[in-house]
Amino acid sequence: MTAVGTATPSAGAYAPALARLRRTLGNRRLVPYYYLAPMVVLLGLFTYWPFVHTVYLSLTEWNLRPDTPLKFVGAANFAEITDNRLFQDALRNTLIYIAGSIPLKVLLPIPIAVFLWSLGPRGQVYRSVIFLPTLLSFVVVSVVFLWLLNPIGGHAQQFFGLFGLSFPNVLGQPDSALWTILLISTWKIIGFNTLLYIAGLASINRDYVEAMRIDGAGDWAVLRHLIWPLLTPTTFFVLIATVIFSIQQVFTPIDIMTEGGPANGTTNLFYMVYQYAFVVFNVGYGAAGTVMLFVLLLAITLIKVRLLDRHVHYDQ
Amino acid sequence: MTTIRTLALALFAMLLTTAANAVEITFYHYQQGNLPALRAILDDFEKANPDITVRDVFKPSRNITADVQAALAAGRPVDVATVIGKNIIFFLNNTPAVPLNVDGDAQWLDAYLPNFLDLGRVGDKIFAIPHAYGTPMIYMNGDIFRAAGLDPEDPPKTWDEVMQYARQIKDRTGKAGVAHLHASMGDYGTMVMVTNAGSTYLTKDGTRAKFDDANGIAVLQMWQDLATSGVMPIANDRQWNSAFQAGQMGMYITSSAALRGFLKASDGKFELGVANYPLWRDQPRRVNNSGGALMLYSPPGERRDAALKLLKYLSRQDISNRWSRESGYMPVIQNPTADPVMREYIETFPYVRPVIAQMAQTVPTATWPAEGTLEAQTTVRAMLDELWAGKRPAAEIVPEAVAKVNAALAPNRGTN
Repeated sequence: MTAVGTATPSAGAYAPALARLRRTLGNRRLVPYYYLAPMVVLLGLFTYWPFVHTVYLSLTEWNLRPDTPLKFVGAANFAEITDNRLFQDALRNTLIYIAGSIPLKVLLPIPIAVFLWSLGPRGQVYRSVIFLPTLLSFVVVSVVFLWLLNPIGGHAQQFFGLFGLSFPNVLGQPDSALWTILLISTWKIIGFNTLLYIAGLASINRDYVEAMRIDGAGDWAVLRHLIWPLLTPTTFFVLIATVIFSIQQVFTPIDIMTEGGPANGTTNLFYMVYQYAFVVFNVGYGAAGTVMLFVLLLAITLIKVRLLDRHVHYDQ
Repeated sequence: MTTIRTLALALFAMLLTTAANAVEITFYHYQQGNLPALRAILDDFEKANPDITVRDVFKPSRNITADVQAALAAGRPVDVATVIGKNIIFFLNNTPAVPLNVDGDAQWLDAYLPNFLDLGRVGDKIFAIPHAYGTPMIYMNGDIFRAAGLDPEDPPKTWDEVMQYARQIKDRTGKAGVAHLHASMGDYGTMVMVTNAGSTYLTKDGTRAKFDDANGIAVLQMWQDLATSGVMPIANDRQWNSAFQAGQMGMYITSSAALRGFLKASDGKFELGVANYPLWRDQPRRVNNSGGALMLYSPPGERRDAALKLLKYLSRQDISNRWSRESGYMPVIQNPTADPVMREYIETFPYVRPVIAQMAQTVPTATWPAEGTLEAQTTVRAMLDELWAGKRPAAEIVPEAVAKVNAALAPNRGTN
């Protein structure tokens, strides 16, 4: 009884506040934020907070022991990492992986997609065939290519042997090893990017093509003046996504096929961060490497947006 | 009927009481193929100690160090952990490892070969006991040997003979002559090769490389010669491994841990032979162990008591030898042939003889310190790649690499 007696005036006292809250919550302008809230919370919890914490860890020295305090070392981790050969090789290779990915993973799928698009429904089988490698595990792909390219009786070696030739030891030389890994990741990912381009092409009204044909335009003119401009939003997306993910895409083949060698010839910043953080447990170095990788990718993306966005045609 | 019901209830109550009193300990390991053998031993331990249950947690060997470290950092229970040998110093510095010979009875540690305990010895304290040790040895393809006019019953004993046999195999069969593991555990191959040649790979505290002496340079020059002469195709461990298993290579020098896999792969395909690790000139054989040791992490109390009980059980001669027989790992207990079952096993399974012969010639694997390890190990790998490319001699490449390794390890040396 007592509880009821005390609850009633309290509820009465809070009533105006509750009404105000209800009015505020019911405000139509806030509705979009309700829909966004779950994602914002999840992003904050699992993306932005870990990132902020990583930046903090990059300025410390710590051995992961909960009972050991973190030692603040300022920018020392950054200075020490950038001073060593492993970082310099990893950075150089990262830039090569990125630069090499653009023609192979961004531009090459365009003619393939246009060809498949031009086939119409007949192109379905080819689409499936070219997309198939995307579905395979990168671990499986790496192991299979390791067998194929084995310089001692590997399948490539045996095949070339039929013609009295010797297949070069492509994973044994730093330069060829990097490009081999890049080509393998291209083979794996090209189907996915092709599919994105096909989706972009599907939005192009074929009546425009017919109209250009009636006006006497050839294949090149159609590609140059119609398809390419209308495909630029897709190309822009593929470019940004490929550059960001190309460093991650080569992680598994590097780990399984070369472990970063020979002579650091295939390692990249992503693999270096993994080695620092999970092979030798240098938390500060691993975090500092992650921050540098983030800054590099952010800079490249901003440059791309700045240079290319004005050439993208979002209207049909 | 009532009696049966009463008995059933009493039994149920007993089981409940037992379960409530049981202490659970967690054992991190990387035994995948050998898990049935390990689990059978743990089951027998549980039968002998009904108040203890052992939860085994499998992690792949290349991840186990990170996983144990993560579990300890997160406060998850870790009582016994398999730690890869080269990481022991790191673990001693960065984890709350418990010395095994401080509280109470430590006599059980005397069962182990003293040289096997050195890996986990810091001053008077012992922090790790051997469990999954391997030793490097020569694996031979008997069919290729015969095709090359060699006798598989007369294996090479020295590095000079290895070179000579490999050349003969290459010349007469066209197949790869030999390969020596290199990147397993990061740098294990290089460590074994220079240590066996009488050089010092790393100082005991792991802070300085010293393999740029005459023996170290000479043996690494020999490794370069193997590559540049074409008898050792330049590849990585995975490729050599699969090439040997496919019957494409005459000899492969790698850890005894590969024995079970090679036996399976060679079955019905080629005749497998084994021999001791080759000697270098007039040096006695000194080979580093590969593999992992067990460390204790339980907090004081009944979990620590139970974990110590398990470690003592694993150190019993019959159990340790059984584990060795069923897993293929090196025996780690003194005088294993005193055990008649083990003696019979060695007689009937000749593949294990190099392992037994090399027990007394085993030296602890070199352990890396806390800082500069990655840079140092990648320098060693890059050194090998440069050696095999053959553009400069070992006398130029090796001292440069050692200087870089020592520069990377300098922060660990403090003011010295």
